[in-house]
Formats: sequence, C-alpha cells, structure tokens
Amino acid sequence: MQEQEIRARLRDWIVKHSKAPGKANFSDDTKILEEGILSSLDIVEFVLFIESLRGEDIDTDDIEPAVFTSINTLYTAFFTQVA
Amino acid sequence: METASELAVRLTKASRKKFWDVYNFVEWPEALQTDVWYMPPELISLYGTPAWDALTEEQQKRLSLYELGNFFSLVLQGERPLVAGLVDRLYSKGNTTSVNEYLHHFVDEENKHMVMFGEFCNRYVGKVYPEKKIVLPREYAKGEEEVAFYCKVMVVEELGDFYNLAIEKDERCDPLVREVNKVHHIDEARHLAFGRVQLAELFNKFAPGWSAETLAGFRQWLGDYLRASWGDYYNPTMYRDAGLADSYELRQMAMSHPACAEFRKRASSKVVNYFIKTGLLVEEPAL
Repeated sequence: MQEQEIRARLRDWIVKHSKAPGKANFSDDTKILEEGILSSLDIVEFVLFIESLRGEDIDTDDIEPAVFTSINTLYTAFFTQVA
Repeated sequence: METASELAVRLTKASRKKFWDVYNFVEWPEALQTDVWYMPPELISLYGTPAWDALTEEQQKRLSLYELGNFFSLVLQGERPLVAGLVDRLYSKGNTTSVNEYLHHFVDEENKHMVMFGEFCNRYVGKVYPEKKIVLPREYAKGEEEVAFYCKVMVVEELGDFYNLAIEKDERCDPLVREVNKVHHIDEARHLAFGRVQLAELFNKFAPGWSAETLAGFRQWLGDYLRASWGDYYNPTMYRDAGLADSYELRQMAMSHPACAEFRKRASSKVVNYFIKTGLLVEEPAL
C-alpha cells in the first residue's frame, strides 16, 4: 500500500470514529488527541485498525503515547518500516 | 444500609474462611481434553452470526479454547491496574482499619487470579493476549479519578462474572475450565459486593461537588468505557490463532451484528442496572 493511500485510510477512520464537531477539518499535523478529535478510549479500536493495515500486531508496551499525536507521527511510527 | 467499612469486616472473615492456595488447587494436566467445549457456544463472540454457522463443530470447539484464552487474558489484563490501584489505596488516610484489612485480601485474591489465568493461558493457548490500551494523562475533578477507578473494577468484574457463572455451570465444558471459573467466581462475589457499596459511597460523596458538565462528561466516559471493554472480547489475533481468515473484518462484522449486540446488552444488564440505580448512568448506553 502506498503512503498516500495509508494516510487517506487513517484519515477516513478518524473522521468516521470522531465525535468532535467539525471533525473533517484537520491536517496530517493536527494533534488528534489534544484537539479532542479522538478520545483515549478510541485508541484500542484504532490500534486494531492500524494492525489490519500493517498486517501484523503492534506491541503497545513498546510504544509511547506520543505516537498517537497526529497522522504524521502515526505514519512514521507504524508504516515507514513496512510501506 | 451497611457501610463499606462494616461490610469489609464480614468479607474479611469470609476471605479467611475460603483462603486457597493457587499453586496447589488443581493439577494442571499436560494437555486439555479434546472434543469438548472450553466455553459454552452461546458465549462465543461470533455466536449467532453467519460466520459462526459456517464453521464446523470442530472449528467451533477450537475457537472456544482461544475465546477462553482471550477471556482469561482480558480479565488478567484488567486485574493488573486493579491490583495497582488497590495497593495505592491501602492505608489511605480515609480508610478504616476494616477496609485496609479487606483490601489486603482483595489484592491477594486478585494476584492469585492472575497467577491462575496466566498459568492456563501459557500452558494451553501458548500466550497471554496483550492489551492494546494506551493510558493518556488527563485532568479529573475532585474524586472523579477515584469513582472512575471503582467503575472500571465493576465493569471488569461484572462482565467477567457473567462468563464465570455460565462456564462453571455448563456440563458441556471441560471440567478443569469449569473449576477455574468456579474458583474465580467465589472470590469475585465478595469483590463485587465490596465494589458496589464502596463505589456508591464514593459517588454520593464526590458527585454533588461536580459541575453539570463534569457529571455529563463522566457519564459519557462510563458508557464509552463499557463499550470499549466489550471490544476486547472481539480480538482479531484470537480469531487468527484459531485458524480463521480475515480476522479484523470478522471482528467488525461480529461487533455490528444484532445478535452480538443483543448478547452484550444481556450480559451487561447487571452492571448497567447497578450504574443506573446509583445514578452513575441515567440511561442504558448503546453497546
């Protein structure tokens, strides 16, 4: 899967699951948790979606919460090795 | 009504009377029986869906072992922060002596459950399924974190106990599995009794000081937390380990299937009714 497609699918998932008003208006740099676009309870579901995109499990013990800052940090942490 | 402190006296006596040794309570066999259910089919996360009907009985029974391993793992993973939280609360300034005494038993029993579930999962499933939760820092109103802690206790224990009771009673299930669930249920009955009274006391003490916005936010969180907890029962890795294809899609299908939603509602009714009765929730959350 190409980088642009992965980013688009991450964005689509966030838009679909966000309860925030104006949720579609964010960039790849937007702080999705700090801005309230996703909540901490959405993260488990999001991790499973990311695993399905990567085709392998994520060990959450090995990752820092900062990874979930934005689409940019997510892409770098989870897809630069396998893209 | 009996206070948490008064109840703790009775529960401490019961815990001492029912004290058990986790290292010797069963002989762990080299291998489990084959051609049995490890969890009643009606409790399995795919039950009632076309994906379930498409499996052979052999595949269903194989899945039941991984479902049980996932169930034990998620209870174990829920008990880790529970034990940490209980230890943090030992000898807190507001505790009575009887509450401290009971918290020692609570911690001891939860630790034993983790030993037991860890042993089972490592022996027969080959692993303890990891949790995917990431804890993010947030700000709480006065007492909100304390109330949230006991809400989490009630969710993990009430949902777990629903499964424990059903598995313990079901003669189709492997006898060792039934015994493990029985032992867990006996301890959990006391933990739930304490949790119900303790949580109601804390909510009545702190919630009157919360703003309407805090209270509404808390109720939203509690419904979301219960829903997210159910998500853990539909684990794609578990489906994959049981030999099922398209595990993520299977999870999404099952979570949105009406038969599964109806099951979640039924299995949650006890804890949801408690939350509504105490005022922690004002309506049933969509599950």
